[in-house]
Amino acid sequence: MDKLVDTKESTQSKKVFWDQEVYDQEIKNIFGRSWLFLTHECMLEKKGDFITTKMAEDSVIVTRHTDGSLKAFVNSCTHRGNSVCTADSGNTKSFVCNYHGWVFGTDGKLVDVPLREKCYHDELDRDSLGLKTIRVESYRGFVFGCFDETAPSLEDFLGDWGWYLDTWMVGAGEGAELVGPPMKSILKCNWKVPTENFVGDGYHVGWTHASALNVLGGELGGLAGNQAEMPFDELGIQVTTRHGHGFGVIDNAAIGIHAKRDEYAKYMEDTIPKVAEKLGEPRAKLFNGHWNCTTFPNCSFLYGTNIFKVWHPRGPHEIEVWSWVIVHKDLSDEGKREVVKQAARSFGTAGTLESDDGDNMVQSTHSNRGTYTREGTMNSTMGQGYEGEHPDYPGIVGSSFIGETSYRGFYRFYQEMMSADSWDEIRANDEHWADCFPNKDYWKDRLAAKAAQAEGE
Amino acid sequence: MHNTEAKERVSAQLHYELSQHYYQEATLLQDAEFSTWIETFVAKDLHYWMPVTERRYAKDKRPEPTPYDMAIYNDDYDEVKDRVARLLTGAVWMEDPRSTVRYLITNIEAFHTDKDDEFVVRSNFAVYRHRGQLEHSEHVGCRQDLIRKVGDGFQLARRKVSLDARVTEDKNLYIFF
Repeated sequence: MDKLVDTKESTQSKKVFWDQEVYDQEIKNIFGRSWLFLTHECMLEKKGDFITTKMAEDSVIVTRHTDGSLKAFVNSCTHRGNSVCTADSGNTKSFVCNYHGWVFGTDGKLVDVPLREKCYHDELDRDSLGLKTIRVESYRGFVFGCFDETAPSLEDFLGDWGWYLDTWMVGAGEGAELVGPPMKSILKCNWKVPTENFVGDGYHVGWTHASALNVLGGELGGLAGNQAEMPFDELGIQVTTRHGHGFGVIDNAAIGIHAKRDEYAKYMEDTIPKVAEKLGEPRAKLFNGHWNCTTFPNCSFLYGTNIFKVWHPRGPHEIEVWSWVIVHKDLSDEGKREVVKQAARSFGTAGTLESDDGDNMVQSTHSNRGTYTREGTMNSTMGQGYEGEHPDYPGIVGSSFIGETSYRGFYRFYQEMMSADSWDEIRANDEHWADCFPNKDYWKDRLAAKAAQAEGE
Repeated sequence: MHNTEAKERVSAQLHYELSQHYYQEATLLQDAEFSTWIETFVAKDLHYWMPVTERRYAKDKRPEPTPYDMAIYNDDYDEVKDRVARLLTGAVWMEDPRSTVRYLITNIEAFHTDKDDEFVVRSNFAVYRHRGQLEHSEHVGCRQDLIRKVGDGFQLARRKVSLDARVTEDKNLYIFF
């Protein structure tokens, strides 16, 4: 388990997409210790509102309790283990188990038990029989849960990634929220295949999505079939951060995927200067870019296209895909409808671009059924060495949106979590995590050369 | 948009004609004759809709989804036409070799509406897709259509597709229902 990822050669063992023992360790070391996306606060506005979701394979209820706080607990009765909630969402005073009628409050506490006096002889210790609680914290309205009491706060877990998220989660107006209910589908692939694809695969866009880009046209249409001559090192960047969160950004392409974009385009035009004023030029530039991202371990989104996804693992070879849509809160109702519709059309269950990806993800997983196939490694060396610390952007920044910097960063932290026995062991590496990106002066040299060239002209 | 009132049932003759139309439509779709389908079987004012429906408790009084809410399909004519155009680019790698898709269309019930040339038609479907060696998926649900008599045939003006499954057990849904 300590040698699944080679950060020097930028390879990963193919076992990571197939082996049950790898998966079991992931559930324990990664899903058991990371902050996992649950929902957005806009879906839990009123007291008693609830949603059900999953943290890896554990069924979870998230509520707005009567005191106004957010609560999360495991959806399994403390008596005989039955689910206590079978709806996707709703509003309730309590959760009643269908099996024997035990009643739990919106804070997960056991509040009533049938025949408690007569048959339990009033001796049942109700205080110790509440639903198993889960840490729950919220970042800019996005709600996450964590099974590990020793894990850092959500804000610290996000780290520099929070700085990037603020670009649109804070933005210039009232920030952003999610539109649901989520579309849900099954994809027979390992959970890391779409996760790595979203964290940093600008490379596949032109080829995998050639059919959709041909029909779409516009700013992104030029990528179709990798035919166009493009200065890829000048069109965007890739970033990876301490805890494996990362993204790639295509400059000026935020609205590229949206065929009907009038309201959204106008909103962006009006908003970018305000973002510059509030958050500075570097983030105003990002605000107008198209991002492909993963928040470690399994929450991905495309900002610009605005699809927001969680890949719930279901064993090593299958996931459940949940898809919401990101909307800026102060966009007009008409603008929001456009965004929701276009996000679903491109990357929903019947999305024209999503359709292209699914098959690759399934085959990239199931080709590893073969024992001899699985002996090999996978390669993620694109752009290796063309990355480092940047004066404007935190984390490690890669030279182009078509590169594999954020792949490398994702798997670097993946290996760290798979090997570490505790969060203390992970914290001890906080100063040295970026050592595997040794070209420290990459951006200094490149920006100096660019400045010299500009001066010469 | 999808709430045209269904009045009395159509005659046996009209029901037969409509049923034949539905079987022909299924044949076009399973033979990948998408251009013929969009050009002759579909009206220009089409709305093609597959809402996302949550599992909710019976006591939950929130309204049913509308076309303003999250939907898997929420397309006008041009948007469906774009989907067809994509399938015909020759660059949909996973459709070469092609999948086979089979449509079983049943329980066709047809009703008159306020307009002489428009009918509400409900039907059930089972769609099976096979691909590669062992890959297969199936989708079961119902459709509520608004169908318009045009010349000797009919054209689809509204289609609401309801899948029975909450979680779609398939890698994608670029097939038409």
